[in-house]
Amino acid sequence: MQIMVKKAQIKIQQMAFVLIAVTLFFVLVGMFILTIKFSGLKESATELEEKNAILLVTKLANSPEFSCGESYGASRINCVDSDKIISLKEDIYSGFWGVEGIEIRKIYPKESTKICNLGNYNDCNVIKIGTNEISGNYISSFVSLCKKELREGENYDKCEIAKLMVSYKTK
Amino acid sequence: MKKAQEEMIGFALIIIVVAVIILVFIGFSLKSPQKEAVESYEINSFIQSFLQQTSDCRDNLEYLSIQKLIFDCNDGEICLDGRNTCEVLDSTLRGITEESWKIEESPIKGYNLEIISNGVETLVIEKGNITSNFKGSSQDFSKGGGLTEIFFKTYY
Repeated sequence: MQIMVKKAQIKIQQMAFVLIAVTLFFVLVGMFILTIKFSGLKESATELEEKNAILLVTKLANSPEFSCGESYGASRINCVDSDKIISLKEDIYSGFWGVEGIEIRKIYPKESTKICNLGNYNDCNVIKIGTNEISGNYISSFVSLCKKELREGENYDKCEIAKLMVSYKTK
Repeated sequence: MKKAQEEMIGFALIIIVVAVIILVFIGFSLKSPQKEAVESYEINSFIQSFLQQTSDCRDNLEYLSIQKLIFDCNDGEICLDGRNTCEVLDSTLRGITEESWKIEESPIKGYNLEIISNGVETLVIEKGNITSNFKGSSQDFSKGGGLTEIFFKTYY
């Protein structure tokens, strides 16, 4: 009888040790995963900023603030109205889109960089929205940058291929 | 004694199996998706944008866009200044693609632009190396029953 009780006690002890060991093992694994996850938080935040910039760059050209609408004949997609966005350079729009900076850069024909303002509007190739410089982290897409231009005494619609660049913050 | 040893070995084996499964799971969950060299939306937007580019070739009415220049090239028209519309189309599109996709400064290794009108090749622009990794897009439009297809591929 005594031997049976002792054997049972040993079995219970054994089970208790196994349960403690398993619990400890999972706690350690959990801590390991949490450490790794938290160490990647900054990268995740940067990834989110990047995703936001991608979403913005794909829809910005067709947003009311940027799109040509029907100013250049039929409704066009991926068309940015240069005459409209030059007014967005005002400071009241900085931070409106929740990104660091937006820039539209004409790519053809190639010319040296001239940042647009109301004074040199007809002889420039980069329109900046927001005060921040476009840094190394940016997402870009192609757009058609259109404006009304006067040539040989005649008004016509001039559209040029440009790059719409949205820069985002890195954490 | 022997039974206890067997149980300990069994327990150790279970721990090792569980640890391996967890490590594999962590490995997969931490593997961040690789950034693509070129995104599909860039290629789509490139085609849509260059079609709207205003060229320096004009007819009696206006300065022609690339899209209109393609139609005029198919019809064998000439610009008001006497230049061939197909030559203007070729030089303008070459300039646009060269400035838009810089092979030397980016992971892009090459590109190919094809314009096919009614099954006939109107224009082919090719630069760089043709690799097995590519992303491309196409755009169709028609005028007077004729179909024009534009294909653009970037190789990386």
